[in-house]
Amino acid sequence: MPGSSERQDVERPAPRFQAEIEVTHKIGLHARPSVVFTRLAKSFPCSIELDVDGSGVWLNGKSIVKIMGARIRRGARLRIRAEGIRAEEAIEALKDLVARNFDEEKKHGRTA
Amino acid sequence: MAAPREVAGQSASAGIACGPAHIAIDQTESFPQQASVAIERQDLAKAVRQAAAELEALSSRSDADSAEILDFQIEMLTDEEILELAFARIAAGDSAALAWAGGLDAYIADIERSEDSVFSARAADVIDIKTRVLAALTGRPVADFPDGSIFVAKDIAPSVFLSHDWSRGGGIALTGGSTLSHVALLARAKSVPMVVGLGEIAARPGELILVDGTLGRAVVNPVDEAIPAQRIMANRLAHELPGAAANGRLHTADGVPVGLWLNVNDASDFERLDPGAVDGIGLMRTEFLISAPADVIDEERQYEWYRRVLAWAGHRPVTIRMFDLGGDKAVPGLGGAEDTSFLGVRGIRLLLARPEIARAQARALMRAAAAGNLKIMLPMVTVPSEIAAMSAIFAEEGALLAKRGIAHSMPPIGIMVEVPATALTLDLFTDAAFFSFGTNDLAQYLAAAARDNPAVAPLHADAEQALFRLLKLAVDTAKGTDIPVSVCGDIAGSPDHTARLLGCGFRDFSMAPSRLNAVRSAVMALTANGSPAEKE
Repeated sequence: MPGSSERQDVERPAPRFQAEIEVTHKIGLHARPSVVFTRLAKSFPCSIELDVDGSGVWLNGKSIVKIMGARIRRGARLRIRAEGIRAEEAIEALKDLVARNFDEEKKHGRTA
Repeated sequence: MAAPREVAGQSASAGIACGPAHIAIDQTESFPQQASVAIERQDLAKAVRQAAAELEALSSRSDADSAEILDFQIEMLTDEEILELAFARIAAGDSAALAWAGGLDAYIADIERSEDSVFSARAADVIDIKTRVLAALTGRPVADFPDGSIFVAKDIAPSVFLSHDWSRGGGIALTGGSTLSHVALLARAKSVPMVVGLGEIAARPGELILVDGTLGRAVVNPVDEAIPAQRIMANRLAHELPGAAANGRLHTADGVPVGLWLNVNDASDFERLDPGAVDGIGLMRTEFLISAPADVIDEERQYEWYRRVLAWAGHRPVTIRMFDLGGDKAVPGLGGAEDTSFLGVRGIRLLLARPEIARAQARALMRAAAAGNLKIMLPMVTVPSEIAAMSAIFAEEGALLAKRGIAHSMPPIGIMVEVPATALTLDLFTDAAFFSFGTNDLAQYLAAAARDNPAVAPLHADAEQALFRLLKLAVDTAKGTDIPVSVCGDIAGSPDHTARLLGCGFRDFSMAPSRLNAVRSAVMALTANGSPAEKE
């Protein structure tokens, strides 16, 4: 099922949300984007998991160790799923972050 | 004496450094036996926490770019999953150190396997984490190396780079490494010469190595004569360096003395120069000496900066400008200094708003003044009361130093004239010891055209007439006060402007070292009123 699907499980009270997005950042999820991604993920109480290119392996989206280890490059298709409190909000925020290329262009630095 | 040996690599950071080799040893461990699974897990968790705390301390002392790199490592260490990399091996009977090294090595190998060089370059940051935790486990500190030496190894860890003091020179020669590594980025930012991919270099500890980051090569045992020449070449000063031959004072064609002074940012700008070639330092910009936010209140460190420049200058006057922060020169982590507006809280406004910064600098300056000919320049002064407020700070801190029995001296305090309101009313600034014209900012305020905006940059040249009218008026006003004037903006180092500046009445010019010869020639070909000298 392509695109973002929002499926409410009637049996269980915890809401689950899922989205799919392509990584357009020119390098991918290297050091800084991974830091930004996991910090944002950790700001939500729900569980957050990632699947890269439909591998079927769901990684802990709050773990920079797992995300760096997955070597997520430009063009990779990420499926992000969240379950629990504020899951819908978490999915939206993380999807936006990937779409904004992790706010990488906002570089600081001092001119001489 | 061994013959010079050249090794080719790739340039990771330009510039030339020469010093004794520090051969860093790859840290291999002798691992102890496992005590119990629970104890090993506990020991490892503790070592990881300690390593994270060390990096956090380092991060708080680093600039924003460096802190960002350390943040990645801290994030890795505070991620519970990192322990999982080792826990399975501990469960299988490994000691904490062995399990950690093994687990991390496998993880690092995965990252290195990436075809993407930016990714594989991140492996160095993870190796750094591994080493730091191992050091914490074995109680052995991560080793620093002597200042001024050339770091030789397969690779260099970011935390090793960041905890080393590069201000005393030195460079990096890596047999492996990557031009894309975090350290390469940091080395470029801090102008530390660095060459990577040298393969075998086979230097012995202490052997002299020249790192040529510009050409991407290293020379073991360089010939003596090659060293200074190459160093100078690196700074593109070779054909422009004023020699000691320029002795005595400079005069215009009609015999009026003219003073040539230096603008400097740090020791590397002046220490190669013969102080006899200039009248002194006309402007030392202290904000460029800051390498970590804490430097702004580090009196001892500042005292060392100032002492060093005074020692170089001997009896010659050295004008040190207090921190000109704010505007385009922000200090990360300094509350209240995030104002990037050229019209906001910058220069003396910031110093008076954050007096703890001004007080520390005042003490360092007064202590240094006890052993040299020091003058103080206040940046961005707009009204006379700002001088009075800063003088009061100096008086209070001077009294404090006296009470503690610390040698100090009260230097004369002058101002940078860079705000049009100040330039128009110099007769009101009778408490200033001197007026030094900062024409870069004066021009941008006068033309209402920001220096950092290329779209409006042409207005500076187009509006030059206004700048020169103001300069003429200001110098004439200053003559009535008997307070000496000089000019230290970029136009002071431009031979095309020398005639007009002489015409305005300026007799003292302060400029970057590379401009001295051109301006010296220009002055000798002009009369004191700025007209070309008659051919005899």
